[in-house]
Amino acid sequence: MIKAVFKQDSAQVIRYFRLTGHADSGPYGSDIVCAAVSAVTIGALNSIEALADFDPKVTLDEENGGHIEFWLSDHLTQTQFDKAQLLLASLRLSLQDIAQTYAKYLTVTIDESVTPF
Amino acid sequence: MLKMNLQFFSHHKGGGSTSNGRNSAGRRLGSKRADGQTVTAGQILYRQRGTKIHPGENVGIGGDDTLFAKANGVVRFERLGKKDKKVSVYPAEAAAK
Repeated sequence: MIKAVFKQDSAQVIRYFRLTGHADSGPYGSDIVCAAVSAVTIGALNSIEALADFDPKVTLDEENGGHIEFWLSDHLTQTQFDKAQLLLASLRLSLQDIAQTYAKYLTVTIDESVTPF
Repeated sequence: MLKMNLQFFSHHKGGGSTSNGRNSAGRRLGSKRADGQTVTAGQILYRQRGTKIHPGENVGIGGDDTLFAKANGVVRFERLGKKDKKVSVYPAEAAAK
């Protein structure tokens, strides 16, 4: 199962997200949940770089897969910040939709303990 | 930009298929008659690959090293030299001695 955790503050500003685990919804090469989660997550990160125009702070396990962490960069322009938040919110929505249909293979947790700044 | 790896959250970073995975059915080798058992000519005594057991008196060996009785009588498993074994079939009166 893949576990997604989004850390956001009370103003719904997403500061951090982490995805860990493997979907195991099918054999390697036919794991549709894994493919969906990989597509929307990697797609969001690449979109932030291309559309919000800054390099996202990301760590991921290229060798074994199954682990991505993202931290929202500091010192962004308002435009970069707004675009990044829109893309991150879109990612969270996509993952929640996938989790609704494939609850056995993906969970999405929203952690609002982050204090806004 | 990150590489779009659609199997990023999939287990078993499997490679190609293996060439293993086949197995043949057991050949049911080994002894088919016990020591002291009465047999008739032609009955199979021992199935083997190579001569674990050598043919003795009144015992023939087939093309696949199968040992079979060449006469009616009683089966006897015996030593052959220091470390080998043989199987013989002795007619009932001879076997009684």
